[in-house]
Amino acid sequence: MRTSFGNLGRHPVRTVLSAVGVTVGILTIVTMVSLGVGVHKEILQQFQGAGLETINVQPVTEERSAYTAFAEPKRTVLITPQLVEEMRSRSDVVEVLPRVYVPWGATVYLELGGEELSVRVYVGDSTWGLSDPFTAPPQLLAGRELTADAEGEVILSREALEALGYDEQSEWEDVIGQEVLLVLKAPRGDTESFPFVVVGVQDSEYWGANIGVTDALALKAWWYNDPDILLHEGYDRLRIKASSINDAAQIVEELQDRGFEVESLRLLLDNINRAMVVLQTMLGSIGALALLVASIGIANTMVMAVYERTREIGILKALGASPGDIRILFVTESAFIGLVGGVAGTIVGWLLGLGLNRLILAVMEWQEVPVRGTFFVVSSWLVILALVFATLVGLLSGLYPAARAARLDPIEALRYE
Amino acid sequence: MDVVVKAVGLTRRFKMGNTLVDALRGVELTIARGEFVALMGPSGSGKSTVLNLLGGLDRPTSGEVWINGVELSDSDERTRTRYRREQVGFVFQTFNLLPRLTAEENVALPLMFSGVPLKERLARAKKLLERVGLGQRLTHRPTELSGGEQQRVAIARALVGEPALILADEPTGNLDTAIGREIMTLLRELNQEQGVTLLVVTHDPEVAAFADRVVGLRDGVVES
Repeated sequence: MRTSFGNLGRHPVRTVLSAVGVTVGILTIVTMVSLGVGVHKEILQQFQGAGLETINVQPVTEERSAYTAFAEPKRTVLITPQLVEEMRSRSDVVEVLPRVYVPWGATVYLELGGEELSVRVYVGDSTWGLSDPFTAPPQLLAGRELTADAEGEVILSREALEALGYDEQSEWEDVIGQEVLLVLKAPRGDTESFPFVVVGVQDSEYWGANIGVTDALALKAWWYNDPDILLHEGYDRLRIKASSINDAAQIVEELQDRGFEVESLRLLLDNINRAMVVLQTMLGSIGALALLVASIGIANTMVMAVYERTREIGILKALGASPGDIRILFVTESAFIGLVGGVAGTIVGWLLGLGLNRLILAVMEWQEVPVRGTFFVVSSWLVILALVFATLVGLLSGLYPAARAARLDPIEALRYE
Repeated sequence: MDVVVKAVGLTRRFKMGNTLVDALRGVELTIARGEFVALMGPSGSGKSTVLNLLGGLDRPTSGEVWINGVELSDSDERTRTRYRREQVGFVFQTFNLLPRLTAEENVALPLMFSGVPLKERLARAKKLLERVGLGQRLTHRPTELSGGEQQRVAIARALVGEPALILADEPTGNLDTAIGREIMTLLRELNQEQGVTLLVVTHDPEVAAFADRVVGLRDGVVES
């Protein structure tokens, strides 16, 4: 061991130069992998906040043809109450929310204190949908949220109340508990009033009223004049919250197999993951190429060292060193060069990551992109892997020179000047 | 008689370019345990070749080499490595110490190949260096030692494995006469005190005079 390390000091420049090759290779790999890991983590965090465990299920409708273009398309795969029950009974499901939409064409009037206002009817809270998972749901200004199985309860929007002349917080508070009517006026000439109790006011920019799913179903049934509409059409949407991301993936797969149209952030994430793997593979290949060149450099250094130390090898052999001992001596030395290069590469790669991270954040701040975070993550397993890999590259590069050293004839070697 | 070395009909033929050179043409040699033998002859007489064969560094073209009951002439590399490690110690003309190791580490080096623990290696090295008069030079490197001191370190290194045989190739060749005499005196003492079997190759009659017996070698055969 002493001899091996002592010898490295004999030609410091040569040793350092051959280690630099490994440094460049490991540096590239560490930077790339840490970028991959960091970005992946960042994305995962963003999405986790948005609800990666959430699955949206839609019924499947018939393809529209020229003859049916203007008719309401027929549903072929229904979200039945049985499906809702089945999902609720699963152990890997936390929450199941069926949803019914009051048709867009339906005109609904809100009657409050003798005034009338045309409003949109929404179902449940307003965190529905995937189009913009990063937008916060509207804030509650007064009262409470709808319960999951709310009946006869309504949440009104601030905008709608203001249109009706309720401008102050205190006035909104007063509205809570009051009875209102949602009046449906069908094209066939009928009018029907549905009584509700106001339970909350939310900060929404639409003229809207949020009601529970049972009430929405009643409104819809009346609109289409079909009391058994749930039986014929099923629910319009189903939101399932799985207990974990992996469970969500499983459920998505099952529902897709059963013919449902499923939306999940998980599906989006899978695509991002795939893109990241491609990126990492490409960048990793650059590092691997650098390491290949580095290993040729180390092999060259070691072949030179074997020439220079021929006499020493002869002495060691005369003293009873076996070919194996000689081989170990040179392979150790070579692995050590790799390790030194690896340590330097890991440190420089880590520093480069920190620097680039600052640069990215500065650019993002300048561009006013609202993203903050760590995009280069050098984890302990990456450090260990990098060092092991660097050592291995050194070790492999040393195998051939070491074998040459081990094969030397002791008499020839002792005669060597 | 307890025989350590027995060489029977040793021949060694080298190929030099296109010509064949017979370095040895039937050498017969027997050395008893505890004997101090000088192998003398002019350069080109085949002295070094005999030494290489007895040291297990080379194999004869024909003939047999028995050392301490082990036949070396048709042994494999593994056997000869083991033989060099356990049965023989070399002293070279040019000392051949490793320049980056201290005196102590140089002496302890052969024991590393036999797997002796570091502490014991250094302890044994220290004891031998004290015996050869270098107790104050344990941590000096070869470049910090005189020629005579370096050769003493080399002798200690040859002894450390407690070999059956010590082979010395012109041990005084790179030393001046006075120092050379000191080295030969040391070898003589070690031979008498510890019963070390010694074969010294030399062309110098004054060096040969230290031995119990002188064997002459000329043109690849032992002179009688």
